[in-house]
Amino acid sequence: MLMPEQVQKNHPVVPGPGPGGEGPGPRAPRVDRPNTEEILKRMRKVDPDQAKRYRQRTGE
Amino acid sequence: MDKQRPIPAWPIYFGLETEFGIAVRENAEIDVVEESIHLVRAAAQLGSPNLWDYTREDPHRDARGFRAKELRQDGDEANFFSQDRQRPYSFEEIKSDFVLRNGARFYNDHTHPEYSTPECSTLLELVAQDKAGERILEECARAASRKRNHTVCLYKNNTDFAGHSYGCHENYLIPRMIPWDRLVEGMMGFLVTRQIFGGAGKLGWEKEDQGMVGGFQISQRADFFTELVGIDTMNRRPLINTRDEPHANPKLYRRFHVIVGDSNLSEYATWLKIGTTALVLEALQYDRVPRRFFLADPLYAHRSISRDRTNRWEIELAHSGSTTAAQLQNDYADWVGRYVDLDHPEKRAVWKSWKETVELLQTNPDSLRDRLDWVAKRSLLETFREEQKLSWDDPWLQSVDLEYHLVDRAQGLYYALESAGEIARISREEDIYRAIQQPPNASRAYVRGKCIQKFARDLVNVQWDYIAFRWKGQTYRLELSSAFPGVDLERYCEVIDRAQIVSYMIEELKLEPISG
Repeated sequence: MLMPEQVQKNHPVVPGPGPGGEGPGPRAPRVDRPNTEEILKRMRKVDPDQAKRYRQRTGE
Repeated sequence: MDKQRPIPAWPIYFGLETEFGIAVRENAEIDVVEESIHLVRAAAQLGSPNLWDYTREDPHRDARGFRAKELRQDGDEANFFSQDRQRPYSFEEIKSDFVLRNGARFYNDHTHPEYSTPECSTLLELVAQDKAGERILEECARAASRKRNHTVCLYKNNTDFAGHSYGCHENYLIPRMIPWDRLVEGMMGFLVTRQIFGGAGKLGWEKEDQGMVGGFQISQRADFFTELVGIDTMNRRPLINTRDEPHANPKLYRRFHVIVGDSNLSEYATWLKIGTTALVLEALQYDRVPRRFFLADPLYAHRSISRDRTNRWEIELAHSGSTTAAQLQNDYADWVGRYVDLDHPEKRAVWKSWKETVELLQTNPDSLRDRLDWVAKRSLLETFREEQKLSWDDPWLQSVDLEYHLVDRAQGLYYALESAGEIARISREEDIYRAIQQPPNASRAYVRGKCIQKFARDLVNVQWDYIAFRWKGQTYRLELSSAFPGVDLERYCEVIDRAQIVSYMIEELKLEPISG
């Protein structure tokens, strides 16, 4: 698709993701054995009433 | 401009505007407007305040070819404004509207700190800029917490579970030659079903001003959409928004404004959500979508997909029986593949990931917990529910849902997953760090960001499509409404890279004074 004012013009390029041969797509998680105990620790520390107290004005 | 290994720019600008939730850990009764003012001001080192020109904004202009006399939200806005006038602050102080050195806008939208990314023309840059916004707000929350002597918490989510939603709006600058009716019929089925990979997940159901027990659903926002097409954004929200503010030459361009999406923490979800939407918009330049893509009842489908615990997501079609959300997304991808240049590396990567994600959603959705927010969150909730032997309607689980969205990386649950290596990444940390400090390259935001870095004291007004300078008692305006890759942008970028003082820009670009 060409924008109206871009017809027959050359498109510039922007820097790529850098060295390492990575393309512009997603990269897989970096470890095979995640530390799930640390995640559970964070969840246990969540205040059970935090959501009840959380009130916001309507936005867009 | 940086010259590294190149990715071609998309011939389209995209950007995100995200409203964040704000709370104070130690005091639920705190005045969140006051907190939001202090929070945004903490960004002072990264930008310049009070430059934004509101006179060129008109949210009443409707893409269907008329100007709406009033918006449903005008009453709410007037009410908020009336309340805020009681505060010991001016309008400018309440807004605390900053233009940042990376070309972004950061301000207080009534209650919510709102970060608008600079316009980007590659997905890689957009994802990095979106994450840069999170990092900036994270640092602002730390600074505000120190100053206010309490803990300011920011949430990149879209609801308070009690019927109050706030948005993550997407913007796509596209040619106006695509007929509006073609956009509406082409985007409706796509946007309704896109939530199967763009949803951020939510525990509970809601309607305006009311929360209800209802189990897990895949979208934060689906409960809040009651109209098919409309101009409103705060009440009776529409699936297709008709706001017509292109911030570019209105004869040539349209800004397609998507308000139906969730805020994503997952970089992959952001990347796929924006990339697939841009691909569909690109294909719509060439053709209408087939009639077999039309939904019988888009509003019903939107909610039923979000709330379907079977993950089958069956939907009725207007002309040919039924299908599933995943199958319709697959059909959209096949249709897009007939029109879009898939030799473009980013487009090809998005298209392949689109097909793969939709396939996995049909065969093994749990395998996407490293990529999609709603799957990651549901997995977290399930793990915690089993460990603590909680029922699905236990309020503790809703609190865990909320903490998934906390932008504080040391405390937030999404970031616990990321630091444990359970989440796929799009950006490198150095991409994000650069995006905090620098604007995207192939974008008019480059000019805006560099002007903030170099000539902040000479600026008098800024808008998305222009910058005004003051020099020797006269005002000069640099129009950016045609500053696109391949048009005027390269010349502007070269000049500002060389400029040491603002007069150099004025002379090189032959700007004429507009007032004395």
